Amino acid sequence: MSRQGSSLRTYLLTRVALAVPTVLILLTMVFLLMRVAPGNPIQAALGGHVSQKQIAIRSHRAGYDRPILEQYGDYLKGAVTGHLGTTLTDHRTIGNIIVENGSATLELAIAAFAIALAVGIPIGISAGRWRDTPVDIGGRLFGIVIYAAPVFFTGFLAQLLFGTALGWLPTSGRVGPITEFELSKPTHFYLIDSLVTGNWSAFSDVVLHLILPALTLGLLISGVIIRLVRVNMLQTMKGDYVEAARARGIRERRVVIHHAFRNALVPVVTVAGLQFATLLGGAILTEQTFNWPGIGAELVRYLNNRDYIAVQGIVTVFAIAVVVVSVLIDIINAFVDPRVRY
Amino acid sequence: MGRIRGFAVAGAAVAALAVAGCGSSGTGGGGTIIRGTTDQPVSYDPAGAYDLPSYDVVYAVYQNLLTIPAGGNKPVPEAAQSCDFTDKTTYKCTLQSGDKFSDGTSLDSKDVKFSFDRNVKIASPTGASSLLTNLKSTSAPNPQTVVFNLKAPDATFPFVLTAASFAIVPADGPNAYPADKLQPSTKAVGSGRYTLASFKPGQQTVLEKNPKYSGADPAKNDRVFIQYFNTSSALKLAVQQGDVDIAYRSLTPTDLKSLQGASGVNIVAGTGTEIRYLVFNLGLQPGSSDAQKMAVRQAVAQTIDRQAIANRVYEGTVTPLYSMVPKGLQYADEAFKTQYGASPDVAAAKKTLQQAGVKTPVPLEVWWTPSHYGPSSGDEYAEIKHELDASGLFNVTLKSTEWNQYSTAAFTNKYPEFQLGWFPDYPDADDYTASFYAKTSFLNIGYDNPTMDKLLAQEKASTDSSVRAKDFAQIQKIGAQDAPTIPIWQGKQVAAVRNGISGVQETFDPSFIFRYWLITKG
Amino acid sequence: MAGIGRLSGLRRLGRDVHEARGVPKWILYSGLGIVAFFVILAIFSAQIAPYGFDQIAANGSPFPKQAPPSGAHLFGTTVQSTDVLSRVIWGSRTAIEVVVVAVALSLTVGVPLGLVSGYVGGKLDRGLVLIMDALFAFPYILLAIVIAFLLSSSIGQGIFTAAAAITVVYVPQYFRVVRNHVISVREEAYVEAARALGASRAVIIRRYVLSNVIQNVPVIATLNAADAILTLAALGFLGYGIQPTQAAEWGYDISRAVDDVGAGIWWTGLFPGLAIVLLVTGFTLIGEGLNDVLNPVIRYRRIRRPQIPPLEPEVSPLPAREREVVRR
Repeated sequence: MSRQGSSLRTYLLTRVALAVPTVLILLTMVFLLMRVAPGNPIQAALGGHVSQKQIAIRSHRAGYDRPILEQYGDYLKGAVTGHLGTTLTDHRTIGNIIVENGSATLELAIAAFAIALAVGIPIGISAGRWRDTPVDIGGRLFGIVIYAAPVFFTGFLAQLLFGTALGWLPTSGRVGPITEFELSKPTHFYLIDSLVTGNWSAFSDVVLHLILPALTLGLLISGVIIRLVRVNMLQTMKGDYVEAARARGIRERRVVIHHAFRNALVPVVTVAGLQFATLLGGAILTEQTFNWPGIGAELVRYLNNRDYIAVQGIVTVFAIAVVVVSVLIDIINAFVDPRVRY
Repeated sequence: MGRIRGFAVAGAAVAALAVAGCGSSGTGGGGTIIRGTTDQPVSYDPAGAYDLPSYDVVYAVYQNLLTIPAGGNKPVPEAAQSCDFTDKTTYKCTLQSGDKFSDGTSLDSKDVKFSFDRNVKIASPTGASSLLTNLKSTSAPNPQTVVFNLKAPDATFPFVLTAASFAIVPADGPNAYPADKLQPSTKAVGSGRYTLASFKPGQQTVLEKNPKYSGADPAKNDRVFIQYFNTSSALKLAVQQGDVDIAYRSLTPTDLKSLQGASGVNIVAGTGTEIRYLVFNLGLQPGSSDAQKMAVRQAVAQTIDRQAIANRVYEGTVTPLYSMVPKGLQYADEAFKTQYGASPDVAAAKKTLQQAGVKTPVPLEVWWTPSHYGPSSGDEYAEIKHELDASGLFNVTLKSTEWNQYSTAAFTNKYPEFQLGWFPDYPDADDYTASFYAKTSFLNIGYDNPTMDKLLAQEKASTDSSVRAKDFAQIQKIGAQDAPTIPIWQGKQVAAVRNGISGVQETFDPSFIFRYWLITKG
Repeated sequence: MAGIGRLSGLRRLGRDVHEARGVPKWILYSGLGIVAFFVILAIFSAQIAPYGFDQIAANGSPFPKQAPPSGAHLFGTTVQSTDVLSRVIWGSRTAIEVVVVAVALSLTVGVPLGLVSGYVGGKLDRGLVLIMDALFAFPYILLAIVIAFLLSSSIGQGIFTAAAAITVVYVPQYFRVVRNHVISVREEAYVEAARALGASRAVIIRRYVLSNVIQNVPVIATLNAADAILTLAALGFLGYGIQPTQAAEWGYDISRAVDDVGAGIWWTGLFPGLAIVLLVTGFTLIGEGLNDVLNPVIRYRRIRRPQIPPLEPEVSPLPAREREVVRR
């Protein structure tokens, strides 16, 4: 027992230690990518209005032509201490962007993932249980087609239907302007904030705005989940212990629910982690489509304005978040999944 | 069975929420105005502001020494009581007495001096300190007087003073601004008609009526929300559904056309001073001599069909422009119309080219940029190519790059002909002529006309309007003849407003100041 | 399992596909049908499409702007007065071109890297794995945007830039799968035998390892083709993809169409969007079908009924008296 315990600890330590060079490589990549692109925020803002000489003078004064290594050093130092800087084009701190816009993206991602699981798991299990029947074919086809539809196309259709044609749901923003001003936001997660402060009209406003974007993104991810759950179901249904349960005379339904179902879900934890990166990426497009004030939308805006401090800061946080989540997933798996050897 | 019941419950819950939610979102009471826009501000510290969305709020929260009144095009005193040149290079302002900032601190000449000094000192990359290169020093001999010492005579200085970048900030008191760096936008404090109640970047700005405002014509409404949208289609839907009262900057021509028929929405338009023009790099353009090059430029000016562009591409939201100085500014005329006629004349263009000995079709490589000058840029230049090719005199190749590369390449001699736009720094004809025609112009296209430079120096130095009128007439005439730049259109200021909103038409004038305080609802 | 020769893996694949029956077979063939349809559209765009991808007039009269579907323009026209049907057809050429270039590039980079890294191991392997994992961790669309952005400033926007951006995102996938398979294969008995016989590393990799590993690749290639189209459309939607003057691209068309939605103009976005859904579904069906057929965990094989030869009188070598004895 103790030997197993210490090797678990070694595994965990190794895993966390390995994360560090991964993050370092990511940060270096981000830094190089942004520096290699031509132009800087001053050029973006004042080009076509002020002479190139003036732009050069201001760029120099802002320190954009310092030696690369010096800028790299500053960047790494900032990443480690958590002071990723202030944006160049609108003087916001990266921390502020992460808290305010990051919370919007996270709220959307969590809602979308909940929908993805709620839709994907039942369909995946049914598809795996009744293999090659119309249920299976229908479920698989649904998963394939919904993933094939780009999120901005589904969003476009949703806006056409619910916004223009029916007028039932709002098609942009996170919440109405007055609610935005009046809602107090201790956690920046509006669903929680409105519940905690007992502000019911705000709560309904938030939910109405959340429905279309979360549904659009969630259905997209459900396509992936359906496929994965189905394959896992098929594998577990073939497993020996399931055969053994059947041989003992246990009813098929109980076999499915008790034995196959639970084991098919173990990889869902891994799925959650793997899809985290996809969720963040899909969030960029969803936010553009629905005018959701999240971190993806800000990223695109800063990229267009060549505000490389902002882009660096945001991508750094994205990268670190993805690495942290994957390490957490591995740790959880190490405890939960008996197949992981260490 | 359970699952179906679950769905029914969920459906009922959503329906209940929808009903409950109807009351909360949407417009507020009679004293609250909600404006939607796609432009995002850079900074609410005047020293860090040089863009229109920042200017909107700075004009509301602060005061300037001088301002342009609604519908006017000449500066009048605002925080100052009177201002005038005491000699060619000295401009003196006497302040109103009793002006206060919104926190109760009094406003006097030391605040004005502080505002100008820090603007120059901070020299923010996003600010307008480049407009103060002619300012030698600012002094405050007594609390009611400010004196500006200029390096050279400059008739445009009063206009420069109206720009939001030179609004007055507190030098002392609990909200004193830092002298060497920008004040955070969320903590903007001024003496204007509004106070900044809240600023959430990327989402909204909220202004509330300033009870301590002591100037003339205080705000006619109590609260203003400025809501930010990232696409014009979202903005258009919002104004259509009543989520915002005013949709201004920027709606596409498609949006506006669709809104024209919508119920509950009116389109309000006024003269704007935003222009678009085509630039020739004299070193790179076709033509083997100066005369030939000029002939090519004149032929293009003769062939472009501005009306077709305004109608077909922009659905009438822009007007054809016949001079680099847009209509509505003092001294603006229509020199290109006088020189080339109002509509295209292919025969005359052909003759011009023949006389100079230029072989047709002339190959033109025309560059444009996809998003910086609006999403219809591509359509506009496709239309221009169509017109020029159809005349048989030109063979146009269109090329585009995204803004950052474009803005560097265009001014470093890489593009023979390219698209450009201009926004006024201050509403004076000098800003639309000296910027392009002077030898030291940022355009860097190799245009050098000593007569032009002499005229520009003359109009800038003189405060006599008859002298300036004569000079500008000459300047625009030469500009049309030489045609290093060809003006194409002048944008209208266009907004979509809900029924019952008034005051928007009044504020649309060449100054580009969006006067929230004039707007009322109901 | 064991098989020699470079293409034995692919030959095995072909046999498995041929033997497939039932649902997986139909999935595979319908996917192939859809993709084949688009490939035909792509190759014969000039003949099939009624107009050019940026044509705004025909026979001297300009096309109407944002006109609904009609006889002259089956799918209507856009805000730039181009014909939607033509742009959808030309768009398939863009999509297929980008997919082909992207998959080819990813294969030529990812597979050899995976092979070498997995077989050689050691520091090279560890270093490559670290880099690939880092790339893998990056949200793919972010990476694609940044690469497209960078390349657009140096080599301009176009098919190659979009394909290169997609390649950078997918190389880690091929690398990872190939490498993992190589690691499991290199300890097999026949590889050890070849080593013992003195075969060089290059020969072993080429003859024994590659042929086994390669059967995983088609499944990933088709699924990545599907993702490549989605990434291309996403880049086009955000404005970092192919410009409208260079070629027709479905994602860009949808980005312009979003503006039309508010005005009730549905045809400019619906048709390019359906094209994306159909083509991506086609590739995914091929991938799913292949996976069903090849994945030993979930596939079924056609059950060949055992051939039992019929009973027939034998001519026995034994003399008649002994035959009696035997029969008893």
